[in-house]
Amino acid sequence: MGAVEAGRACLALLALAGLAAPWLSVAPNRLLPGTPVMGLAALGAMGGLAALALLAAVPRRVPAGLAALLALAGVALLLAATGQAAAVAMADLAPAARAGLGAGFWLSLVAGISLFAARAAALPTLGQAGLVLAGVLLLALLWRAGVFEALSLLVEYRAREDAVQAALLRHLALSGAALALALLIALPLAWAGFLRPGTAGAVGAALGAVQVVPAIALFAILIPLLAALLAALPALRGFGLGAIGPAPAVLATALYLALPLWRAVLGGLTAADPAAVAAAQAMGMGEGRITLEVRLPLALPVFAGGLRLAVVQAIGLMTLGGLVGAGGLGTLVFQGLAQFATDLMLLGALPVIVLALLADAATRGLEHALGRGA
Amino acid sequence: MIRFKAVGVRFGATEALADVSVTVETGVLCALVGPSGSGKSTLMRLVNRLIAPSSGQVLVRGADVMAQPAPALRRSIGYVMQSIGLFPHRSVAENIATVPRLLGWPAPRRKARVAELLALVQLDPGLATRRPAALSGGQAQRVGLARALAADPDILLMDEPFGAVDPLTRRDLRAELRRIHAETGKTILLVTHDPEEALELASQIVVLRHGRVVADGAPAALVGSTAPAFARALLGGEQPGLRRLSLVPAREALAAAPAPEGAPRLAAGASLADALSRMAETGAAVLALEGEAGSLRLAAILERGR
Repeated sequence: MGAVEAGRACLALLALAGLAAPWLSVAPNRLLPGTPVMGLAALGAMGGLAALALLAAVPRRVPAGLAALLALAGVALLLAATGQAAAVAMADLAPAARAGLGAGFWLSLVAGISLFAARAAALPTLGQAGLVLAGVLLLALLWRAGVFEALSLLVEYRAREDAVQAALLRHLALSGAALALALLIALPLAWAGFLRPGTAGAVGAALGAVQVVPAIALFAILIPLLAALLAALPALRGFGLGAIGPAPAVLATALYLALPLWRAVLGGLTAADPAAVAAAQAMGMGEGRITLEVRLPLALPVFAGGLRLAVVQAIGLMTLGGLVGAGGLGTLVFQGLAQFATDLMLLGALPVIVLALLADAATRGLEHALGRGA
Repeated sequence: MIRFKAVGVRFGATEALADVSVTVETGVLCALVGPSGSGKSTLMRLVNRLIAPSSGQVLVRGADVMAQPAPALRRSIGYVMQSIGLFPHRSVAENIATVPRLLGWPAPRRKARVAELLALVQLDPGLATRRPAALSGGQAQRVGLARALAADPDILLMDEPFGAVDPLTRRDLRAELRRIHAETGKTILLVTHDPEEALELASQIVVLRHGRVVADGAPAALVGSTAPAFARALLGGEQPGLRRLSLVPAREALAAAPAPEGAPRLAAGASLADALSRMAETGAAVLALEGEAGSLRLAAILERGR
């Protein structure tokens, strides 16, 4: 058995271990602790079938495409069986009762998806895209069929559907604003650092110092600072600036993003082969043209790398905006934390994770496309 | 024609060039040689204003370079350098067509010119769509040469163009350059640290040392006994006498007296070194020259070795 195959076997075993752990937790209402139900007891034959599918995805003899499909089927079976088990458990209980997801479920889910990703990684890009699309379609199908409706997470979602969707949109808007502001800070600084390399050290030290401040502290400290600023210049309130709300959240996140963006732009600008720049000059290109035709095209792949980092960071950091009244998905997370309501926390946290993964995949694609061009 | 008139260049406290006066006539391939730091690259870079003179004047086609806008001047002069500097994000064809594009040539004309140039530097037309990363060192240097020739400049500046390629490729590229020079009749300024390259290609050699011109003349003259010692040592190597003979055509030592019957015959374009070698091979002290009536004698050859 090779090392890669052994790794896959470990993942499959983790998924099996999840089945032997608390899978569902049946509670009389959303706040009280529930009684755990073990995976195998909850899922029955469908759980066994899912375990077989995941195990079959391990051996090297099984071709990668088929193995990825098997892993996908295993994960889908687990999801469907979990929904069904929750529906059965809730059938003759009071409407306030909840079927929460237990540690075993999350363990098996993550292990199953990792196994799928490990097998899909060996496929060509087109095959990967097809498999991901199939996974999304399968999930949508299960969702449409109402398979998950009995799960506590779904009940919680149905109760706050509008709020979650609004929080998602607001989260995106806030992250976008922070990214735009960070670009506004980073681009001129990088340009200045490129024209005068002497300034780069000071700017790097200043932006680096921001990274040292813990994120929560930075969000918090901006509130009194902004309050003092607004007291000194009340006119700023006219622009919708407030000491709490979106302003400190966007500002703090932007300050964090400025360093990776600044570094990427500066690195990109200086990445151009000096010989190519010298040749451009000797052929009669002016400074502007050299930047436009030589430096920028060669900088774009480096820049896209920094952008990827910044976008993912923006989405993650903006969760803290919930603490300073900015809204967004963080609000749900912190409400859930305050109420000890796990499902509410997850309603905020899961979309953040999915958004970050999607943003990463999209910007990675961009980086790849630009990298090929250079 | 390129003319340097009492040119000096200072970089801060260091004097890179001092009182340099050199004239390169139209159509001449002039090699600038000298040890590193002698100012040969600096002298060349004055021509397209990559460096501005601190004193004196640089005239290109009779006009002071400092009185011309730098972009237009540079677009009218081809430039090849050791590091080549091809644009990695552009195809070979786009690289070659850079200056024509800057000059606003229409696309069909650029395309035709690229095809012409690929043929001139003997590259496979299939390479046109490739990226520079896919080229070998020799191919990349040929593309660099084609790019410099793209807008058909009458002047070509070459800064150690063959320094970074292997000896075999270098020999090919030299032959290529000699052919292109003969075909196009361009004025070429070639910076090199390789004396053999200078002697083989150039019809004029300028020897620089510490920013000053030590010698300026035809290759054969600079390895002769009357040449300045520094130039002779730099260019002549271990056997300056033989080097000089290799630069002088055999015809120059021809005496009116006819060669004896059965004397070995030398090809028409042979050099005096060829003649000497043939004498050493055959033991004959008198040779006949193809297409000539007179004879070549050992004493006459030795006389021209000095």
